[in-house]
Amino acid sequence: MPTSVLIEVGEGNLREGVNSFLRSILEKKMLDALLVPLELPSGGMTAPALVSDPAMLGNANPLAPIMTVSTARLASSLTKVAASQRKVGVVLRPCELRALIELIKLKQASRENLVFIGVDCYGTCSVKDYNRLCQETPAPAEELLKRVKSGDESLLRDACRVCEYPAPINADIAIGLIGTDTGKGFLVRADSAEGESVLEGLGLKPGVAVPEKEREKAVAELAASRTKNKNELYSRFEVETTGVDNLLSVFSACVNCHNCRVACPLCYCRECFFDSATFDWEAEKYLGWAEKRGAVRLPADSLLFHLTRLNHMATSCVGCGLCQEACPNDVPVFPIFRKVGEELQKMFGYVPGRSLEDELPLSVFREEELGEVGES
Amino acid sequence: MTTENRNSNAALVIGAGIAGIKVALEIAESGARVYLCDRQPHIGGTLVQLDKWFPDNHCGLCKILPVFNRDRTGQYCLRRGLLHPNIELLLHHQVKKVEGKPGRFSVTLKPEYPRVNPELCTGCGICEAACPVTDDANFNQVPGGHRAIFLHHPLALPKTYSIDAERCTRCGACVDACPTRAISMSAPDEGLQLKVGAIILSTGFENFDATTATQYGYQRYPNVITGLELERRPGGSGPFPGVLYRPSDGAIPRSIAFLQCVGCRDRKRDYCSSACCMYAIKEATMIKEMYPDTDVNIFFMDLRAFGKGHHRYYDKARDELGVRFTRQRVPAVKQDFRTGDLLIMAFDQSGEVITSRFDMVVLATGQTPSREFEETCQILGIKTNKWGFAATGAFSAVDTTREGIFVCGTASTPQDIADTLVEATAAAGRAMGFLGSEKALPVTPPRPGEEEAGAAVILCNCYGQVGQTINLREIADFCHRAPGVAYVEEVVHLCHPETWREVKARLSESGVNKAVIAACSLLPPPGLYEDTCIELINIREQLAWVHRDDGLKATEKAGRLVNMALEKIHSQEYVPPPEGESVVPGALVIGGGLAGLSAARAIAERGFGVEVVEKSDALGGNAGHVFSLLGGENPREYLENLVDEVKNHPRIHLRLNTEVVGVTGHIGNFKCTLKDERSETADIEAGAIIVATGAGESRPSEYLYGRAGQVITQRELEAGLASGRIDAAALRSVAMVQCVGSRDKDRPYCSRVCCSQALKNALNLKLLNPETEITVFYRDIMSYGFREEYYTRAREAGVLFVRYEPEQKPQVSLEDDVLEIRATDPVTGNVVIIRPDRLVLSPAIVPPDDNTALSRVLGIGLTGDGFFREMEAKFLPVDSPRAGIFLCGLASRPQDIRETITQAGAAAQQAAALLSRSRLTGGKAVSLVNERRCSGCELCIAACPYEARVKNVEKGVARVIEALCQGCGACAAACPNGAASLRELKDQQLFRILDAAL
Amino acid sequence: MEDKKEGITGEYGETAGKEEFEPSLVGFFCNWCTSTAADLAGTTRLQYPPNIRPIRVMCSGAVDPVYVLRALCSGADGVIIGGCPPGDCHYISGNYKTRRRMAALKTILKTLGLDDDRVWVRWISASEGAKFARTMREFTEAMRKKGPNPLKNRWSI
Repeated sequence: MPTSVLIEVGEGNLREGVNSFLRSILEKKMLDALLVPLELPSGGMTAPALVSDPAMLGNANPLAPIMTVSTARLASSLTKVAASQRKVGVVLRPCELRALIELIKLKQASRENLVFIGVDCYGTCSVKDYNRLCQETPAPAEELLKRVKSGDESLLRDACRVCEYPAPINADIAIGLIGTDTGKGFLVRADSAEGESVLEGLGLKPGVAVPEKEREKAVAELAASRTKNKNELYSRFEVETTGVDNLLSVFSACVNCHNCRVACPLCYCRECFFDSATFDWEAEKYLGWAEKRGAVRLPADSLLFHLTRLNHMATSCVGCGLCQEACPNDVPVFPIFRKVGEELQKMFGYVPGRSLEDELPLSVFREEELGEVGES
Repeated sequence: MTTENRNSNAALVIGAGIAGIKVALEIAESGARVYLCDRQPHIGGTLVQLDKWFPDNHCGLCKILPVFNRDRTGQYCLRRGLLHPNIELLLHHQVKKVEGKPGRFSVTLKPEYPRVNPELCTGCGICEAACPVTDDANFNQVPGGHRAIFLHHPLALPKTYSIDAERCTRCGACVDACPTRAISMSAPDEGLQLKVGAIILSTGFENFDATTATQYGYQRYPNVITGLELERRPGGSGPFPGVLYRPSDGAIPRSIAFLQCVGCRDRKRDYCSSACCMYAIKEATMIKEMYPDTDVNIFFMDLRAFGKGHHRYYDKARDELGVRFTRQRVPAVKQDFRTGDLLIMAFDQSGEVITSRFDMVVLATGQTPSREFEETCQILGIKTNKWGFAATGAFSAVDTTREGIFVCGTASTPQDIADTLVEATAAAGRAMGFLGSEKALPVTPPRPGEEEAGAAVILCNCYGQVGQTINLREIADFCHRAPGVAYVEEVVHLCHPETWREVKARLSESGVNKAVIAACSLLPPPGLYEDTCIELINIREQLAWVHRDDGLKATEKAGRLVNMALEKIHSQEYVPPPEGESVVPGALVIGGGLAGLSAARAIAERGFGVEVVEKSDALGGNAGHVFSLLGGENPREYLENLVDEVKNHPRIHLRLNTEVVGVTGHIGNFKCTLKDERSETADIEAGAIIVATGAGESRPSEYLYGRAGQVITQRELEAGLASGRIDAAALRSVAMVQCVGSRDKDRPYCSRVCCSQALKNALNLKLLNPETEITVFYRDIMSYGFREEYYTRAREAGVLFVRYEPEQKPQVSLEDDVLEIRATDPVTGNVVIIRPDRLVLSPAIVPPDDNTALSRVLGIGLTGDGFFREMEAKFLPVDSPRAGIFLCGLASRPQDIRETITQAGAAAQQAAALLSRSRLTGGKAVSLVNERRCSGCELCIAACPYEARVKNVEKGVARVIEALCQGCGACAAACPNGAASLRELKDQQLFRILDAAL
Repeated sequence: MEDKKEGITGEYGETAGKEEFEPSLVGFFCNWCTSTAADLAGTTRLQYPPNIRPIRVMCSGAVDPVYVLRALCSGADGVIIGGCPPGDCHYISGNYKTRRRMAALKTILKTLGLDDDRVWVRWISASEGAKFARTMREFTEAMRKKGPNPLKNRWSI
């Protein structure tokens, strides 16, 4: 039985409660540093930071419903060259944690000496909406929680409204909010031996009855409602994003800025194929293409870019939707990538982020499979 | 310096089937020259007629091509041809005279006439159209086929037409029709003189002529066909690809009977053809895969699935695919003339005659020496055995009766492809010892690109074969206008030697180092690729001949193909050639038994150092327990000599009580850690490793072994008889039980040697005491090849053979110290009761437990049975999955002493060929890493099938071990951003080709 | 050689002329099996339409899906990949990797409503000249029936 503890907090003190839990980890030297979002001095907006001084955690806001960058990316930067010698806790939303698992499989991050602290996530807002929320209320996290629990998901990003993974998987320590009366407390559970030893070191012992069952049920319900949202999203975009005409039409707003690729936690290439010399052409080439079709759009190859990016990362796409946030021209990249990713993952029976043991679908094969490919 | 005092650095290989090709490649790769001759005008022998081979029912012929030095050998399907700068093909030639002595033979060869000159023949087929004679047996084995001049095999290279001298009327129609004047009817007198150091005979076999087995009605009943005909009919290049029609009415057969041992295991040919059981099972398997409902019944005497993995294949055919097996020699086949169905008369268990009806009957014909073989052997001055195969020694399967002349494959004994390839490799190794000094092949680096020089375009009209469909003028005009083309040359016949010389001369004069050659699938001779970037396109087979009806579009397509090729070579970046890695010129041999010692001696004789590591404190291994061979020869003397030679050889270093505990590095550069009995470690380097760790004998748990003193093993009997501890004169009755612990659920393999051992010991006992009653309880007697004769002799000597089914094993009991064996004869149902003085068991050969640990150390896998796995069961039977590590002896599979010596010779040859290289390089077309772009994601490492990509941990990027890279491009396709690429096909190049294509 | 401009007027200009549509097809054929089969088809003089533009690669496993995408975006009406039959790969397992990659690629195309039937994968062994010719005929015919790749003449791609 994993250690599971309900940490009680006073009404309206959820953030403070979580922060003190995190602070105690550093104070008791269970871990040497924490990668966690801190609120910026200007207030409201947060940015992830590597924190070694427990005092700094007063500014932490891991529940703030905003994700400007995927922490998976940051954990990759932190560990790719050489794994940490000291123990670092990384506070991750479920999608970030799943992306990080994929990056570890892609050798872009190291699992070594990292402790994953996963946090339940009801969803996040766009930067614009979050700023508005911050102006409206001093406690945006709690406010959004309240709204979402009461069924108002209008402030959530599309990606979050359709997210079927509100609870973290593969965490060492999970911080549970779903199915818990967050007015009174939150749940802390060790999901690995590593997590156990941290909680033990903190002296956390199961006290009051922990609402595990309730949480499970609530997570399932939330996931189900999100599946419903997802299907609605698909049907909303289905017409818009399928077929040559529609695709060319939606991608007509694409300016090849490749921001989607920059934001994507899984686009890990040091130099993107599409920024490489492979796509440097002499003027004659461009003229040749123009002659062939009468005209050629510049910058060229936007459809090819998106199709290729799908081919490269969609099997591992965790649906975080940061690509959508990054697009300056509102090209519906999220619904496209989410849907294609889902189809690919279904085909290979692969769930990105599910397990470090699952092999990347395009790195392996079985001799007896896919007989329909190559059939005549 | 005169040549007379030196051994020739060339070998002559007679017979260009699979064995001959393998010998030639091995010798060529060891740095010597080879003349590969064949009476036929094409290479490939019997093998190219077969589409698929067990155990995996695939083609894999190309896998015998050398992996190093790739650019200099033809990188094409071997069904098409063999290109190697050290190999000269002398096809359609016969050896007429052999003089001289080993190292300095003088050989006379004569071309066969009527003759099509391979240098002039373009394969256009006009001659065939002109020929008035038709014939009835051809490549596809379908009656009503070809003319007297014909293309034997449509893929053959050189694509030379053959003339069937027997059918040809010498009318001369083809001579007049041939546009290149390639055909001549009569022979000039002079032959060809060659000086060679060694000769290897690899002429193969001929299928038994089934018409002479009249009881089966072959060629009288249309639905009786041979196994080879069955191969061809539904073959991919056969007459009816993918379907099996019954010859008489074109129906899909619902029932097929295979009759085994047609033409062998009889009085006239008292030997077993070794391969027929397996080829019948393979064909049955393929029929079942095509038509699961077709009843396939194999009528056999003993099911000889004795090779590696064969028993599992047999089990699968029987248990999973439902192939039926009926133990019975079918006396005759009758035809129902109304339906064309065939009736097989047979006796059932009770002796009643029963008749079964089949849609088709397939005769599994045996292997016989070819008709001309006797004559060839006389010319070579070598002896044949009583069945007409080349005679070989008890301890060498490849030495003939004349020094310097070797034999391999089915010329000396019937065998399958895997065994043939082992012998061929071993024969090459033996021959190398008689050739002049070995030298590594020089590597000519390609010139760096001189951009301004431009490219040449060479268009071959092939005597109008191309021009009749394609307007070459138009292509030439287009090329003239295309940017970067230095000159365009249109030639009538590029592969004519004269034309070829001129074209090459012009290429080098003009200074261009890039060329597009638009010709045919006849490849330019090697030597051109080295300093020129060539893109070859095939506008004959892949254009003019397949788009005859639409010249306009074909011309447009040809233009595009030339353009695509120009785009490719124009965008070819110059990358300095791979330097290659140096090779440690020594080998590590693991195991000091017969296999290891044989391999060590052979490698040392080739001039390389050898470290021999033996786990125990003694040399000799299992062979020390063998006191005589089946033919009566004494192996102890052989072994003692071998041990002495190895001990005293200056280049061999022995380490007893030592194990290998660590191996890092790769082919050419292994670093091995050894540990001795005092647990002290030593590090050594080796360019090649030979695994010869042997195997053990299982300790029987059945038949009261260990509980009754009378129950012993064959090995114990042999030792007892040799030492006199067992007195044959006192033995009244002896029983033997075969397959103790073999061919069952736990060990689904045949231990291969035990039947011969039982026959040997039974015959010995009978010799010592003819009165001894001997009863052998067996399942199938595995007296394959010429061992069959001893089976016959044993029966003649009165040895009683009683078969048992694995479900009904003989029951052994002991009462008052009297041993009793009870068994039920599955044929008669009679219960046999014997009370022998001794019960002799044939226990299984079992791989040692420490194979698992060693396989981990070596990074190579084991088979399901626990023996070391080879790279590819059929075509690479000596290579382990890790390049540079070779297998031989019982470590690889159960086999007898002579087979072990052969495989050790083969492993030694492969190691020596490797060690003789000064540097290891792959081809030009290896893959590259753009370190700046590489993110270190390792997708390329996962994709590489050769472990040629590793992580450079310091830099965090991938690294290519060029010696291992085969240039397949799997890494480049897996890499998301082009950091992994092929040297000669980068992404942008491909995009440019696509642009030109569309 | 020279590209025929087919009187395209605008983004959605219909190009299908009166004559029968001739698809432009690209084939990636592996060196060991399918290219050999292509030669065999020639030797046995089997006829097939000239629409296919063959590109020889050492192994079907070298075909990066981006090549196929590029071909389609550049206006290929169909792309066919020819490799050794499963289990037969000269490079041990290249065709198994191809199979997964192409299955993934086809799923991407299909999900986006791009016609994945324009991408064919076929295993054609060295001895299957007849299968090669038949496959080329079938492929050309199927692509002819489909009509032009709608990406063909879009300037805005």
